Amino acid sequence: MSPFRNEPILELRRSPQREALTDALRALDATLPLGVPVLIGGDAGVEEGIESSDPGAPDRLVATAGAAGETEVAAAVGAAAEAGRAWSRRPAAERAAILDAAAASLRERRLELAALEVRECAKPWPEADADVCEAIDFLSYYAREALTLESGPDLIQVAGERNSMRHVGRGVVAVISPWNFPLAIPAGMTAAALAAGNAVVLKPAEQSPGCALRLVEVLHESGVPSDALALLPGYGEAGAALVRHPGVHMIAFTGSSAVGLEIIRSAAETPAGQGHVKRVLAEMGGKNCVIVDADADLDEVVPAVVRSAFAYAGQKCSACSRVLAHEAIADQLTERLAGAIATLEVGQAERFGADVPPVIEREAAERVNRYRDAAAVEGRLVTVGEEVPAEGWFCPPALAADLPADAELLRDEVFGPLLSLERVAGVEEACDRVEALPFALTGGLFARNPDTVAAVAARTPVGNLYVNRHITGAMVGRQPFGGNRLSGIGEKAGGPGYLLQFTEPRVLSENTMRHGLVVD
Amino acid sequence: MTPTTIDRRVLEAELNAVGQRLAGASRAVQHPVRALDERAMRLASRDRELRAALFRLVDVTPATRGLDDLGHHLAGLIGELDEAPLALEKAMSAAHTKAGRIALGAAVAAGVRHMSHRFIVGTSAHEARGELRRMWEGGIASTVDLLGEVTVAAAEADAYRDRCLEALEQLASACAELPEREVLESDSLGPIPRANLSVKVSALTPLLRPEAPERGAADAATRLRPLLARARELGAHLHLDMESLDTREATLDVMFRLLDDQEFRDGPSAGLVLQAYLRDSPAQLERVIEWAAASPRRPAPTIRLVKGAYWDHEVAEARQHGWQAPVFTDKAECDRNFEALTARLLEARPDVRVAIGSHNLRSLAHAIALNRVGGSDDRDLELQVLRGLGDDLAESLAAEGLRVRVYCPVGELVAGMAYLVRRLLENTSNESFLSAQASGVPLEELLAAP
Repeated sequence: MSPFRNEPILELRRSPQREALTDALRALDATLPLGVPVLIGGDAGVEEGIESSDPGAPDRLVATAGAAGETEVAAAVGAAAEAGRAWSRRPAAERAAILDAAAASLRERRLELAALEVRECAKPWPEADADVCEAIDFLSYYAREALTLESGPDLIQVAGERNSMRHVGRGVVAVISPWNFPLAIPAGMTAAALAAGNAVVLKPAEQSPGCALRLVEVLHESGVPSDALALLPGYGEAGAALVRHPGVHMIAFTGSSAVGLEIIRSAAETPAGQGHVKRVLAEMGGKNCVIVDADADLDEVVPAVVRSAFAYAGQKCSACSRVLAHEAIADQLTERLAGAIATLEVGQAERFGADVPPVIEREAAERVNRYRDAAAVEGRLVTVGEEVPAEGWFCPPALAADLPADAELLRDEVFGPLLSLERVAGVEEACDRVEALPFALTGGLFARNPDTVAAVAARTPVGNLYVNRHITGAMVGRQPFGGNRLSGIGEKAGGPGYLLQFTEPRVLSENTMRHGLVVD
Repeated sequence: MTPTTIDRRVLEAELNAVGQRLAGASRAVQHPVRALDERAMRLASRDRELRAALFRLVDVTPATRGLDDLGHHLAGLIGELDEAPLALEKAMSAAHTKAGRIALGAAVAAGVRHMSHRFIVGTSAHEARGELRRMWEGGIASTVDLLGEVTVAAAEADAYRDRCLEALEQLASACAELPEREVLESDSLGPIPRANLSVKVSALTPLLRPEAPERGAADAATRLRPLLARARELGAHLHLDMESLDTREATLDVMFRLLDDQEFRDGPSAGLVLQAYLRDSPAQLERVIEWAAASPRRPAPTIRLVKGAYWDHEVAEARQHGWQAPVFTDKAECDRNFEALTARLLEARPDVRVAIGSHNLRSLAHAIALNRVGGSDDRDLELQVLRGLGDDLAESLAAEGLRVRVYCPVGELVAGMAYLVRRLLENTSNESFLSAQASGVPLEELLAAP
């Protein structure tokens, strides 16, 4: 297999590429709404129970999906258990080839898939395109990782014995994925599980069943047996039932901390008849800070912070939500940030150049507005973006300052276009505040003395620290991604070691000496 | 005149003669201070790591708080080097004490100041007028560029527009008092403005988005319009610079749109830039020429042909995204393209006025020779160089009786850093013509066809 390389994003500065996307959206619109069945072992169930709509035009139906319940969960896990054993026995090279073929298939359909993300999740074009590329990356990266894994680690060998170690799939992996990277995240967790030789039951977020269907279709068409990969569109109860099911060996989850912690609790149970301990991989929330030292180049800081905080309306677990600014530049930074935020265009995801799309749903908009109102009372809103479209779940981007240390906005993950700025005496104090947080996902630092960079890197607990750049957009193989503390457990996605978690290790030691005869 | 009818040997002979004269004249006027600076830059071009550390130091200097802080930065950056030159290593032992750091900081600050004076004429157009007058009297015209911070907010774009308006006034009044210089102020199409201002779209709007060029163009137009209007009233020339490829569409869009406007049908004199390092520059040139030919406005637009100053940025960005680099990565290919575009531009007169901006002796001599061999007047070709990089060249071009214009940035040091670092990169790159020239490559080789 050729060495891994990241899928190039579209060069959207060239107009033909933009026109191709616009055409793809027009073509997609003619096919909506999509019907998304519960898919178990090739049997398609009903396509009703869940409706996903365009966050920018809630009247536009994007997909209608079946809603899985206990019965579907049991059927899917049962079918997967059987299929998983056969899938696991196939050589890693076969599994890898299938995943690589699926990557190629996503590549062929990338325009259509980006368009679907624009509609179903209100991902602006550059973000939607990047998400499709990341999905392709995960499939091709884990395919190659599976080959590396199969070759096994080198063990110490001595005369008269032969030692080997291999990693086999754990069995049935429940993948519970969010809507904010509607292809890449389910693709990553699913591909890793499949590459390592597991069967997968995928429960995507109820907000993005259409994107999940496309992923599952592509994997099936590329050769993943239909019963080794089931699709269970559903609400939270379906996810909870899946986590509880004794036939599930492992849960790979990405989403909120509240749900993640509940999964970890629930998965720890070992009811009678369950002959294994479930493993949980959880990628949870963040409260990500960017530290700006006195020597930072504000010309770089402002665009990078604005992008980190407001791209996709702040709905990324890696997004920046707090700026900790050295007092020497805090006023200037506040003023320039406020000015930059005021220029942001709040608009439909399909509009090239729209900076802040709508948030995913009504509840999200209400939550963001609640935090913003509270910040206005407890501190000060430095700026609030201007009017937002009347229809759709739009929130104006806002910057809050002068908040008390115990303000909820400084502690909670809001997942919306709301940024706060604090003044600190220096980088040390900023690090103290970062360390005081229970979250440790991403972080940023703008500083130009290498000694400062080294000191912060040594101290900060965050999983991904970005220096002198935006703090979102981790690339597979380049920035393996994942948080520490309450932000997550497990190895980093898109990095070495991730696949190991989906396996159980088996060591074989054979005595090769017989009557003093050593067979090498 | 078409290049196909030109005898290649005649052209090369004339080119060599011109090149020899330009090089000879430039050696004769070498300033001792510049030689000193050149040595520092040569050192930097030999050692990539040291070069990076020095650039980062220069870059951070205006953002440091006092000499002690600057000393700390110096120590930190040198500390990162795997191997520092011995003299530097020795000097760094001073960084352990505050007094030592202050002394080191002072040395750095003085060095950066010296270097910035080489590239930046003054803090404002007003402050630069003495130098601009001195140049004019020596037969050298200028275009002034106002250095600014990155524009991230509407208020910052407004402030830049206002600075430009003020600079136009200052330049116009300063130029009114200049003595006549026939070569600098007319060609066969008519008069050429003395006052000349170069502006950047990225400074005129915070709304540049590569995927939505029309958004930035529309916003920039609201600030460029009053500049064009004032330039017309004052009889000044306004040139729109070209920046990274991400902003090209917006830049061309706003210029085409405004210059096609009825309001600017009779002026001001205005111009655009074409970057020869872009692979698609031939097609872009056709687009510009087509536009100029169809446009009823007068005077004809000035097209400044340059190699392009964002090569490192374009290459790195393309690599990060997995794109083919939009620029030529082979120097000879780029140089050949430059010559082809020169020929095409000269042929497109009188629909356009032609300005060739380069420090490559061969490229300049090629343009001059091609123009002469094709039977055109020297006045119908302008040569441009950058302040600090092309000062000697400017003097020898003036001595050859040609119209030469020096691009003169003015502004504060903080705002000028990005510019300064780009110039340093250009001056110390191994591909650079200047660095080849400085390292003693024989003239015949420098003038050889790419």
